[in-house]
Amino acid sequence: MADLTCPSCGAALPVRDPGLPYSTCAYCQTLVRRGEAGSLEAVGTVAVLPADVSPIQIGTVVNRDGIAATVVGRVRWGWTDGSWNEWFLRAADGRAFWLGEAMGMYMLTSEYPRVLGVPAIFNFVQGNPMARDCTVKADGKWLTATDIKEATCLGSEGDLPFPTLPGWTMTNVDFRNAAGDALSVQRDADGTTAWLGVWSNLAGLKPANLRQIEGWSIPRALA
Amino acid sequence: MTTARAITCPSCGGTIEIRAAGYTVTLACRYCGSLLDVAHEDVRLITAYRRAAKNFAIPPGARGTLFDVEWEVIGALRRRSGSALWQEFLLFNPYSGYRWLVAADGEWQFGTMLLDRPEDDRLAVSWRGRSFALEDDAEIETTTVVGEFYWRTARGDKVQGATFANGREQLSRETSADEVTWTQLIPVTAEWVEEAFTVEQRHMPRAPRPDLTEGFRKAPGMAEDDLGKMFLIALASLVLILMVQVFLSGPRACSDGRATVEVGAATSTHRIGTIEVRRPWQLVTIVVDSDSFTNRWVDLDYSLVNRQTQQSIDAYGIVEFYTGTDSDGPWSEGSHHAETLISQVPRGTYDVYVDAGAHGWPSDPTPGSIDPANPWGQGETVALWFNSCTGGFSWGMFWLMAALLFSVPGVIFWWRHDS
Repeated sequence: MADLTCPSCGAALPVRDPGLPYSTCAYCQTLVRRGEAGSLEAVGTVAVLPADVSPIQIGTVVNRDGIAATVVGRVRWGWTDGSWNEWFLRAADGRAFWLGEAMGMYMLTSEYPRVLGVPAIFNFVQGNPMARDCTVKADGKWLTATDIKEATCLGSEGDLPFPTLPGWTMTNVDFRNAAGDALSVQRDADGTTAWLGVWSNLAGLKPANLRQIEGWSIPRALA
Repeated sequence: MTTARAITCPSCGGTIEIRAAGYTVTLACRYCGSLLDVAHEDVRLITAYRRAAKNFAIPPGARGTLFDVEWEVIGALRRRSGSALWQEFLLFNPYSGYRWLVAADGEWQFGTMLLDRPEDDRLAVSWRGRSFALEDDAEIETTTVVGEFYWRTARGDKVQGATFANGREQLSRETSADEVTWTQLIPVTAEWVEEAFTVEQRHMPRAPRPDLTEGFRKAPGMAEDDLGKMFLIALASLVLILMVQVFLSGPRACSDGRATVEVGAATSTHRIGTIEVRRPWQLVTIVVDSDSFTNRWVDLDYSLVNRQTQQSIDAYGIVEFYTGTDSDGPWSEGSHHAETLISQVPRGTYDVYVDAGAHGWPSDPTPGSIDPANPWGQGETVALWFNSCTGGFSWGMFWLMAALLFSVPGVIFWWRHDS
C-alpha cells in the first residue's frame, strides 16, 4: 500500500495497519481518519506523548503462541494515580492484540468478545458500574476484577482503532487470577470491548526490534 | 521520543531527573526529601520535608549488574516490623522491569514480584509445585523513603506482611487496603552484591545482637499470639496454686480463748486454746480481736506447746490503734484485729499460750493514778478474743507466686510496648 501524506502538514503518514481508522501524524500530532475510499480527514490534534522509558516502540514484534504480532500504535492513558501505555498489535494471522504496560510488567491480550455476554460484564456494557472482586469465567478460566480505572487519553502515536483526542475517556476493568491470566474490559464512547490474555515479563514475549533507550543496553537475553 | 524527564522540586527548587519516566508515580526529592506526586505533567507537592533521607547501604542512582542485567537503584526504603529494621532498594532496568534488593540482618535477598500468585492457605502456600510454610505475619511500617516509586508511597505507610519459606527461599505477601502483592525472595551473598554495587558497610542495617530482650521481642511466627498464651498459662497456674493451697490448708479445727490485760502492767501469760494438727505439717492461724481502745498497743507473743514433747513454736502478733490530730486534720491508724500465721507446725496436740502486754501511747498511764474517765476502775484493761485454727491460707505466698508467674509475660509485654 502506498504511503499517505498528512492532510495537515504534508508529512508522510505511513499506513501500518490498513484495518485501523485512525493514525497520528508523527510530525504535527494531527489525528487523521482514513475513510473507506482512501479519503483522509484531519479530525483534531493529539497531545504530545509524555517522556517515558518504555522498551516498546512502533515496529516492535512480540511472539505469542508462535505467532508474531507487530506494534502499530500506542495510546497513553492517565488516571488519578498514574498513567500507562497500551500498544496495539496486529498479528500475521490478522488477530489484534493490546499490550498493556504496568509496573514493568506486560499484559498481552487478544479480543475475546464472547465474555461480553456474561451477565456481570453485560451489565457493565450497558453502562453500569463494575463491582470490584466480581468473578467471571472466560475461556474456562475464572478471573476476578482487581482494578477499575477511569482513564483519560494522554496522547497517541501510530495507527489505532479509536480517536485519541484530548478528552477521550474510557473505563478499564482488569481481571486476573492466580495463574497469571488477564482479562481487560474497556468501555468508551464507541462501545465495550473485552480482551483476554496473560501477564508476562518482557522476556516472556520473546520480543524483537525493541527500542534502544539512551543510557541503557538491551540485556543479552532480550537482544 | 525523549527518555529523560527532568522536574523541579516545588519545595526546594532542586532539579531531579526521573529515571523510570512513565512508570514513576511518587518521588522523594533527593535534596530535601519532600514527597512529590509526579504521576502527571504538573508536579504536585504531597508532603514537604527539610532533609532527604540519607545513609542507605546503597545510594539511589547507583548502577550494578546482577543476574547478567544492569540495574539502577531508583528508590530506597527503610522499613521496620517490631524491632526488626531493614532497607529495601528498588532496582530498575527499562527492559527487565523492577526488582528488589533487601538488606536485613547483614544478609541480602533479591526479590521479584510474582505474576502467578501462590495458592493461598493460612499456614502454607504452594507455588509452582512447591510448598512454603508461614514464617512470620506482622505489620510492616515504612519509616523513610528516598527516590522514585511506581506506586503511591510515603513515610509511615503500613502493610500487613507475611513471609512463607521453603529452605532459604521466601515468598512475601504484602496486603494493603488496595491490593495484595507477592514477591519471591532468594538469598544472594553479600560478596556478590558488593561486586555489583558499592555498599556502605556502616549504613547496613545491623545484625541483631543476640541479647535476651531480642528473644522477647521477636519470636518468629509467634510474635502475635504467644504473649496471650503466656498470660493464660500464668493465670491457670495461679488458679491451680490457689486450689492446692486451699486443699493443703485443711482440715480445720478451731479453739477459742479470751484474755484481759491491764494497760501498763507487766506481760501476763494466758492459755487461749488447744488445737490438734492431724497432718504431718500444717499451718496454724491465730486471729485476735480486741475491744475498742485508742492509743494503745498490745504485744502478743504466741507459743504453741506440744503436749507430748513440750517443745514450743513461737510467733508474734500485735493489735494497735491510734488516733490524733495534726496539720492534715484528724487521723487514725491501726486495727483492733490481727492475724498471725504459723507455718510448718508438725503433727501433734498443742496448747496455745499468749504472753500479752498492753501499753499506752505516747506513754503508759501512771500506775495508781486515777483516771478521771474511769475513777472507780481498777486500772484500764484491754479485752482480747482469740480464735486459733489449724489450716490457713497464706495470701503472702499466693501473691508472691502471682508476681513470679506474671513477671515473665509482664516484662515481655512491657518490652514490646515500650519499643
